[in-house]
Amino acid sequence: MTALQYIVDGIALGAVYALVAVGLALVFGVMRLVNFAHGELITAAAYTLYLTSSWPKVFACAISLLVAVGLALLMELVIFRRLRYATPATALVTTFAVAFALEAVWLIAFGPQGKSADVLSSLNRTATHGSLHIRWVTITMVGVGAVLLAGTGLLLNRTRIGLEMRAAAADFRAARLLGVRANRVIGTAFLLGGLFAGVVALLLTATQPLVTPTFGLQITILALVGVVVGGMDRLVSATLGGFAIGFVNSLLGDVLPSSQGVFLTSFLYLLVIVVLVLRPGGVFVPGGASARVERV
Amino acid sequence: MRISRKSLLELGAPALLLVAVSVIASLVSVGSQQDFITALVNATIVIALWVFIGNSGVISFGHISFVALGAFAAGLMTIETIVKPNVMPDLFPFLQHHSVGNVPSLVLAALIGGIVALVLGAPLMRLSGLSASIATFAVLGITNNVLTYWEKIGPGAQTLSLVPETTGPFQALVGALIALVIAFAYQHSRSGRLLRAAREDPHAARAIGVRIERHRLVAFTISGALAGLAGGLLVHQIGSITTNQVYLDLTFLTLAMLVIGGASSLWGAVVGAVAVSLLDSFLSNAENGTDVIFFHLKIPNGGSLLILGILMALALLFRPNGLTGGREASLKSLVALGGRLPRLGKARHTV
Amino acid sequence: MSDASPALAVSGLEVRYGGVAAVRDVSLEVGRGEIVGLVGPNGAGKSSTLMAIMGAVSPSAGDVLMGGRSIRGMRSEDIARSGIALVPEGRHIFSNLSVRENLRLGLVGRRESNGVAKDLDWIQTLFPVVKDFADRHAAALSGGQQQQLAIARALLAKPDILILDEPSLGLAPVVVQAVWEALAEINRQGVTILLVEQRAQITVSFCSRTYVMSNGQIRMTLTPGDADNTERMVSAYFAS
Repeated sequence: MTALQYIVDGIALGAVYALVAVGLALVFGVMRLVNFAHGELITAAAYTLYLTSSWPKVFACAISLLVAVGLALLMELVIFRRLRYATPATALVTTFAVAFALEAVWLIAFGPQGKSADVLSSLNRTATHGSLHIRWVTITMVGVGAVLLAGTGLLLNRTRIGLEMRAAAADFRAARLLGVRANRVIGTAFLLGGLFAGVVALLLTATQPLVTPTFGLQITILALVGVVVGGMDRLVSATLGGFAIGFVNSLLGDVLPSSQGVFLTSFLYLLVIVVLVLRPGGVFVPGGASARVERV
Repeated sequence: MRISRKSLLELGAPALLLVAVSVIASLVSVGSQQDFITALVNATIVIALWVFIGNSGVISFGHISFVALGAFAAGLMTIETIVKPNVMPDLFPFLQHHSVGNVPSLVLAALIGGIVALVLGAPLMRLSGLSASIATFAVLGITNNVLTYWEKIGPGAQTLSLVPETTGPFQALVGALIALVIAFAYQHSRSGRLLRAAREDPHAARAIGVRIERHRLVAFTISGALAGLAGGLLVHQIGSITTNQVYLDLTFLTLAMLVIGGASSLWGAVVGAVAVSLLDSFLSNAENGTDVIFFHLKIPNGGSLLILGILMALALLFRPNGLTGGREASLKSLVALGGRLPRLGKARHTV
Repeated sequence: MSDASPALAVSGLEVRYGGVAAVRDVSLEVGRGEIVGLVGPNGAGKSSTLMAIMGAVSPSAGDVLMGGRSIRGMRSEDIARSGIALVPEGRHIFSNLSVRENLRLGLVGRRESNGVAKDLDWIQTLFPVVKDFADRHAAALSGGQQQQLAIARALLAKPDILILDEPSLGLAPVVVQAVWEALAEINRQGVTILLVEQRAQITVSFCSRTYVMSNGQIRMTLTPGDADNTERMVSAYFAS
């Protein structure tokens, strides 16, 4: 394993984490809501992949994406719509409750044992180029991540709905007073979040086909940490934060000897605390070290 | 500290509830007894949570780490010294060769909880809102990670067992009452009042010179100590402990208790803890099959978590101030409980 | 929409925040093509009245009518799409967006998709800053320029009724003059205007009618002829 290998692997994992981060940040931007239950969208898509694993691959993937998007929109309609005017603390804890309730649903429906969703595991094959061994899945992660992130950028900057979303993220009430439809903007954020969660599920099952009730939880927690560390208030800094955490996670996982590897989680969390204390506005935000007016 | 008749009722009501639970625990069959003791231990945890969350308004996801530390500390130090080198050969010699009694272990648990809270909390207290919540979540993650893998201070991923089971109805009650009295004392102390004022309006508080960070740290430390105590009670109830038992599930459960009961008040904390704990015990039993009056009820594994999650979400959506409306126990509210529960509006804090 | 009914009418409006009534039994009318003023000291309830009109706040009593049709209870984004545009207090420019993008947001509430280019031309003549600074970040503009941008943005929605909440707040007199001249021109083009201001005298002389509000209630109605009557002005402000 060469240094280049580590870096490429890091970029791939970073790209996946970035996709989770974007989903979280889009919803946070328009609603000021941190959705702990985002990970359940990933788990839902992964279990759908398991259920459809005997179908033609294209259909299996498409249905899984649809389920993630559908669940996201359902969450918004049934639960989060009512939280729009609640205190941020209440909203936060509610998403926590939703996450646990959904996890219980997976537990009841599929049991604690993992289920195998190996629809895309063929991507795990290696392509060799000189001394570089790259798995197809790594290339796919980087490629898909880049395309989706670029697409999001285009959507936000060049389309009307994107403009409305950016305005709503800056000043929701003023945006509504101009005629921006709250439901449409929030719905779009959840739709994109769900879509990206589904894509993340597809990418993750390629390397880890075993789906358990906590499948999406771990990556979501870390991605959320990355978002906060990068800077929640802006999409770019939030996504960079997600990417950075994924990158560091992969790198440290490769570089640290396995005996110390078990404490990797602690290193990352410690990093989070250090960053939050020293630069609470976010690492990737200019002027992030200065105290902000607390929004939450 | 002003103690008025109103205050005595505010302390007396939750105390009486705890005593009632303990009495019931002594009277029922051995099988059901554990459920009531669990309610008391959970009440201790939730009271600890309330001391910080209720007064500062900051949601902490990290308090179960202090429960964990308390549980492992108390458990480890009460296992017979003959046994320890065999089951945990990698322990620090100091830990391996010493043992303490029941009550000292509880004191130790509280001390460790408090000290770690003080040390870890000091840099975190200037964070607010979401950043603070994430930071406390990180604390939870670190504690869990370290306890699971560092075999010099504990059994690591394995179960810590052979801990003397000394927490019966009486010990659980004493622990819970101690926590209640300390929480009550803090609530009425100058620090507690200032912290609640700052919760309502941080800018105004700073403008008059309130050192919010310092008061938060006081609350955090006290709640860490109480949480540690609860951990000690917990390990002595079960007789064993694993890191999984004091991680995400317990965090969720105790937060649910606080929220459903009413996060702003001590009464809410106790009511929520007892009610939800008993419900959770009942539902857990139902997962194995239990008899309810006429029929046999069996819900699938995970059903208890689902029902609690839904309840918590419903409570937050429709009754964000909890069962007690976030108010302390008063004659009016206790009378109202007999008739109609008080109506609520949007999320509002009451002091 | 009958032609006889006023463009905008508020009757018996009451707005409460918790137990406090910020607006009590307020009734006012803005006729088609008029410029009507609403003045009063800080805390009189002017902004709350506007927020109730725009649906940002729910009134506890009374009605809001646009062209004779009740709009009470409508969502604010729907009201904004029905031909009323508000230039809010403090301007509420989106500082993370460019001037051009801010302007584009004005199109969201526009009912006619034709004629955008023509309207834009006219707006740019009225407020050249909008063209000169098109690609700059809105945050880079001065207070007066932001005010002009806010009005330009509202105009691009081609509203029947334009409501402005304290447009002269924090602006230099020379800038205020320019803004008011623009408002006069806008009104000449047929837009009905409701102008909320703190500076009573200048508002009273500018508008065809001015309501005076204090402590949540309308105290009196003044006409330009009253502008020089200091006694009347003072009593209007300090009525309790």
